[in-house]
Amino acid sequence: MIKVTELKKQYKEAVVLDVTLLEIPKSECFGLVGNNGAGKTTLFRIMLDLVRASNGRVEIDGKDVSKSEEWKRTTGAYLDEHMLLSYLTADEYFQTLRKIYGLSEADLQLHLDMFTEFFNDEIVGKKKYIRDLSKGNLKKVGIAAALMGNPEVVLLDEPFENLDPSSQIRLKKLILQIKEASQVTFLLSSHDLNHVTEICDRIVLLEKGKIINDMRDKSAMLAELDAYFTG
Amino acid sequence: MLFELIRLELLKSFRSTAFAKSVMVAIFLGFLAIMLLGYLFMAGIFLNRILQEIAEGQDTIIVLNSGLIFFFLVEFMYRYFLQKLPVIELESLLHLPISKKKIIHMLLGRSFFSPLSIVALILFAPFALTEISTQYGMSGAISWLGTVVFISWTLHWFMLWFKQRFEDSLIGVIIVFIVLLLGGGSTYMGWFNLGEMVSPFFTFAMSSFIPMVIMLVLCLVGYYLAFSYYLNNAYLEDLAKEEEVRFINQSVGFFSRFGEAGELANLEWKLIIRHKKSRTFLMLSAFFLLYGTIFYDNPAYQSGPMQNIFIFVGIFITGIFTIQYGQLFLSWNSGYFDFFLSRKDGIKNLVKGKYLLLLSISLLCFLLSIPYVYFGWKFLLIHFATFLFNAGIMIHLIIYLAIWKPKPMDLSKGAMFNYEGVGAAQFLMIIPMMVAPYLIYLPFALIFNFYAGLAALGTIGVVGILFFNQLAAINVNRVLKNRHEISSSFRQEL
Repeated sequence: MIKVTELKKQYKEAVVLDVTLLEIPKSECFGLVGNNGAGKTTLFRIMLDLVRASNGRVEIDGKDVSKSEEWKRTTGAYLDEHMLLSYLTADEYFQTLRKIYGLSEADLQLHLDMFTEFFNDEIVGKKKYIRDLSKGNLKKVGIAAALMGNPEVVLLDEPFENLDPSSQIRLKKLILQIKEASQVTFLLSSHDLNHVTEICDRIVLLEKGKIINDMRDKSAMLAELDAYFTG
Repeated sequence: MLFELIRLELLKSFRSTAFAKSVMVAIFLGFLAIMLLGYLFMAGIFLNRILQEIAEGQDTIIVLNSGLIFFFLVEFMYRYFLQKLPVIELESLLHLPISKKKIIHMLLGRSFFSPLSIVALILFAPFALTEISTQYGMSGAISWLGTVVFISWTLHWFMLWFKQRFEDSLIGVIIVFIVLLLGGGSTYMGWFNLGEMVSPFFTFAMSSFIPMVIMLVLCLVGYYLAFSYYLNNAYLEDLAKEEEVRFINQSVGFFSRFGEAGELANLEWKLIIRHKKSRTFLMLSAFFLLYGTIFYDNPAYQSGPMQNIFIFVGIFITGIFTIQYGQLFLSWNSGYFDFFLSRKDGIKNLVKGKYLLLLSISLLCFLLSIPYVYFGWKFLLIHFATFLFNAGIMIHLIIYLAIWKPKPMDLSKGAMFNYEGVGAAQFLMIIPMMVAPYLIYLPFALIFNFYAGLAALGTIGVVGILFFNQLAAINVNRVLKNRHEISSSFRQEL
């Protein structure tokens, strides 16, 4: 589904990302962990063609992301609040996306219904611009938006950050539920080792831009990560 | 989809916290544009007669054809200063399935809807339809007019690329200067006559469609160049490489004498030299130091009522930085305004620090303008009087106007797509600035003489400087009073 080859990002002398090969098969739930500055967000940005790679390429469904734009139709992402149109209300934002993705009103309603519990009555129907929402609610809007239009790939950067504990648990359930129901490939980055080990089938550890561990054994993940981070 | 993008852009401006201010600016600019286009239209209608006056007994068509190149050089200059670069919040759109090409087409298309695009048409259409059509027929007139208009539009696309590419660099200023030299230098200094060299092309345009087709192709090439440049840079990164941390330790030692306000002036100075937008303003003030050369040496202004224009020139030379930087007074700090709010006396020192900085740069401009003594001692006197007036009165006035609903501005985002560059709005503040000094100067100059007017300006300036603390307090208190409103509008829109 996703293939990263010989990828390098370099600012002057400093190499911030250097991935020789990374393949993520369809419907995998892929977790990315690492300390600050390890290159997690940079990797996601390059995957979404928001930042240019200095070298190498990223392919989604066999297509180079920097060469075509078709993959955008089937890829949802939420990295930070700048990806939202901050001057719209959440409702208007969803409506705008509905038009962009060519969904019907009923499709949208069906989609939003999934998030009823997650939104906790604070998003839909509120007369408030996105720019006035709290950090946690921004994240909820972004995640719901990223999952719109039946994407095949979803990238979420720190999805649990800023969410209250019950929302974190609801989000976890939601992701597992979607994974179960469809063949969505999830790419998550997180500092919350408990959550990420719980939902991901595979976890990759980044350090200074390089992959230093690729874990697939669910039972050993948490212990291994704990050992690394407590160092 | 295009319609949706346009709708979003409209919504964005309606819902901006600085909407009221933007509307005022837009109405004012619109009014100015209509007025100026009206004048241009009149000039267009009477162009033939004007040319007859200037060059008696010569064929006006020949005269115009050899003068056209200078019109385009002037157009290059005014486009450089007035044409805005298209901006958009790229980050919020790039991840959606909207093709980049569509976004860029929309941006470029929108930039074309500007009064600047019809200047050439309005000015030259009447001439083409009356004079040229009688001698060369309707097809000659259309082909000639088409050539002229397409050159103007080619400049439009070229400028979009040029400003984005070179605005921050010395190369850009040098190129603009070369264009100026080409225009002025060639004919005045008699090196070569640019007009004569280019006129055959326009003459040819009256009898053949080839020049028009050439210019149409050039115009399309220009569009394509701008398009591909914008498309290739539609990334979140800054245009070129990551900006090096340069200018380290560039503190101005002299500021540290002024306590905490001086410290903040130092911070502000770092802000100026480390951001593209503010650097452009600095470069522009250096450029406008040369403004005097247009007027001071020109015999038409030496005596009589025309010499009153020197006051404006003086205000401009010694105060251009204050005018331009000052009109975005708090916007420069919108990203971290709360930092000042949370500090004891933070706002007070911020405003005072800015005063200190603006006054210092104004003083520097005055000192740098001393060589104008070459044209006569009178000019030193003018600069001194206007400098005093700037420092004593004008600075307070500008800041007073600037703190009305300040607009947030994100300096730390990459420059491409959220950098408008210097545009017409940045020159708006000049209008009250033109009126204020003349309110003081003119009565004295008319009743007594030129020097009495200067003395009045200088005296008022000195009085202003003596009461500096009281006057500054008005602005400081105004910011303090509105601090919650300002801070919340800054927080919302970043």
